[in-house]
Amino acid sequence: MLLDIFDPKAPPQAVGIDLGTTNSIVAHVRDGRAVPLTTCDGTPLLPSVVHYGAEGSVQVGRTALAYATREPERTIASVKRFMGRASGDVETTRLGAYKFVPGEAAVVRFDLGKLTPSAVEVSAEILKSLKQSALDQLHQVGGAVITVPAYFDDAQRQATRDAGRLAGLEVLRLLNEPTAAALAYGLEKQQNGLFAVYDLGGGTFDVTILLLEDGVFQVKSTGGDSALGGDDMDREIAERMLAAMGATTPELRTAEVVSIALEAARRAKHALSDASEVSLELPRKGGGDVTFALTRADFDAWVQPLLERTGKACRRALRDAGIEASALSGVILVGGSTRVPRVRSYVNELFGVEPLGDIDPDLVVAYGAAIQADLLARQSDDVLLLDVLPLSLGIETMGGGVDKILPRNTGIPAGAKATFTTYADNQTGFDLHVVQGERELASDCRSLARFKLSGIPPLPAGFARLEVSFNVDENNLLSVKAVELTTGITQSVEVKPSYGLTDDEVEQMLIDALDHGESDFELRRLRDAQVEATRILLATDKAFASDADLLEQAERVRIEQALSALRGAASSATQASLIEGAISALDDATHDWAGRRMNRAIQSAIAGKNLGSVEQSVAHAAGVEAHLAKHGESR
Amino acid sequence: MKLDPFEALGVEPAFSLDIAVLEQRHRDLSRALHPDRHASAGAAERRMALGRAIEVNEAFRILKDPIRRAEALLARRGVASGEGKEPPASPALLMEVMERREALAELRHSKDAAALQGLIVEVQQSEQSAQAALGAEFTAESADPAQILKLVAQLRYYRRFLDEAATIADDLL
Repeated sequence: MLLDIFDPKAPPQAVGIDLGTTNSIVAHVRDGRAVPLTTCDGTPLLPSVVHYGAEGSVQVGRTALAYATREPERTIASVKRFMGRASGDVETTRLGAYKFVPGEAAVVRFDLGKLTPSAVEVSAEILKSLKQSALDQLHQVGGAVITVPAYFDDAQRQATRDAGRLAGLEVLRLLNEPTAAALAYGLEKQQNGLFAVYDLGGGTFDVTILLLEDGVFQVKSTGGDSALGGDDMDREIAERMLAAMGATTPELRTAEVVSIALEAARRAKHALSDASEVSLELPRKGGGDVTFALTRADFDAWVQPLLERTGKACRRALRDAGIEASALSGVILVGGSTRVPRVRSYVNELFGVEPLGDIDPDLVVAYGAAIQADLLARQSDDVLLLDVLPLSLGIETMGGGVDKILPRNTGIPAGAKATFTTYADNQTGFDLHVVQGERELASDCRSLARFKLSGIPPLPAGFARLEVSFNVDENNLLSVKAVELTTGITQSVEVKPSYGLTDDEVEQMLIDALDHGESDFELRRLRDAQVEATRILLATDKAFASDADLLEQAERVRIEQALSALRGAASSATQASLIEGAISALDDATHDWAGRRMNRAIQSAIAGKNLGSVEQSVAHAAGVEAHLAKHGESR
Repeated sequence: MKLDPFEALGVEPAFSLDIAVLEQRHRDLSRALHPDRHASAGAAERRMALGRAIEVNEAFRILKDPIRRAEALLARRGVASGEGKEPPASPALLMEVMERREALAELRHSKDAAALQGLIVEVQQSEQSAQAALGAEFTAESADPAQILKLVAQLRYYRRFLDEAATIADDLL
């Protein structure tokens, strides 16, 4: 038997997590290949289901799923659909078994009696379980890349990141699912060209057009529907089953009955992937059973409207990318729902190419996430992902319209500024409403944040100048800053979208969750600081090796002092704050140098490649052509 | 302090640009500056890289857009630009735009996707000839800012029309 030898000095492994609507997966890169880790269910796929027992127990995965029909309202499935949603959203009122805490809260909460977990907390339970499985197998976990649908808005992304932090994971990156899938395919197949990723999951649909070119994965456009997926197919079937079962009025559609129908619908859908006809026994109202038969042709016809919604999004994504379907080198299928035969044939009709599906569509996203986590952890220069903003960001105008500040499909990271002015004499406050979406009215878009800038000096209308800047980082997360620039007075407000948790809130929730509260939390903070110190020491060494010539003597001395102070603190300090202080001192000492190094990097990127490397890349491109010519026909 | 997109991307300031070269430069700079490249560095470097990467993306966005590219060139020449600075449209252009708007309004009702596409292509062609004229004007010995602003205004008309047509086309997809 081979023994897995644990080397305590080995660096912690970064993992990739696909936090799916139906199933979740954790994967890592071993010997250069992405592999899934076994979850607590003994399989790579962990059902994204959490059961909250009345007595306070929490179960995740198949054990939780077993409660789905017995205690449907305490068994939360498809929680991803509720991420970043407020209680008034349509999503919370669709066919389903859950009760929600009433009111117009910004964050929807499941009503389980004593417990009222939010979607973030439910998701964190799934992530905790995955983290534990990873720890069991890898012994140490050094950060995670978590995937999100490309079409997730800022609220949904913030919620996902909060869930990760709440689960005690260092979230290295939020990665778009289609980009992850393309990464898994692109690296495995070494292909260049334009690709479409058609991702139909349990609850979300995404389409992304990307250009793969020599290790750069550049997203051209993205679109989709964050409330459309395999669950809707189940609902189509379940609605008809409920009718057959005699559950015709809302009162008769109890949580239990609905849950039985949804479960049967899922089984029927799966069976129809292989069989052309299926028949099931369903309990009828008032006792006895009813036989429910359906053919694949019935099912295909019922899901056609759903498929057409995906088709519209695909045509729009092609148009936004400025390409015709015929320019595509391939279409990648992602998501369990693409197993449905009609989905495959529809995609074929839509794009005019046989879709690629040779990597398991359930695992491909997790593989991509694992690859990205590995690349980030190793600081690899081989691959670069250039993503875009999925939905336009703007500010509500006086008339209730939207002033778009960053349009959808803008390359990220992105920043933009807009200037506003006061509309009344002596106006001293200014209300700002940040929204996301494509609709013309602010009320039809997703509201991200409202805040008031006050303390504007009284001036005639139109005199005050208010500059609002939007910054979207590489995780597609937004920060907004407003500065009021008039008679030399500057005021700045940093906003965090209203549905997100503040850092303090996350910290408090973590403390509450840990058995020994404060002391455990301190210990964890110390460990995190040590990891961070190691990382920065390494990065500084790397910078010394390449750019020491950019240092002045005195500067160098100062940096070396800061370095040795950090080394000392990292190895002996018992308080996180000491290490954190040493890190920030080193940061200060290297600030100017970092600027010079950045300029050098820019100069060398602009100076371009020398003749030798151009020839090399031409030869490489020819190699790709040859590769495609050789393998093209067999596709 | 305003961003000079030509400087940020290190390209010669000109209206007629090879988009492929621009894309290549953007990728090269992204390789150097993208936050993922600086993920393990200290906070100061990460902030700096993020700021520069945002600038490069912004510059790329400006230069890809003919209207904003023209404005950036005008800014380099010290000419103020923007909608308020542009001369009013000529009666001929107004007539052209009005006629096409009427056609668009009719197509919105008749939901004729093919005819709509035809109209879009027609306006795109007008847009391209205005761009060609703009390119010629910028390279002319005695470039006339008033003429440039007039052409920019013309491009803006076409842009608005095409945006509107795209929204209608979206519903017919």
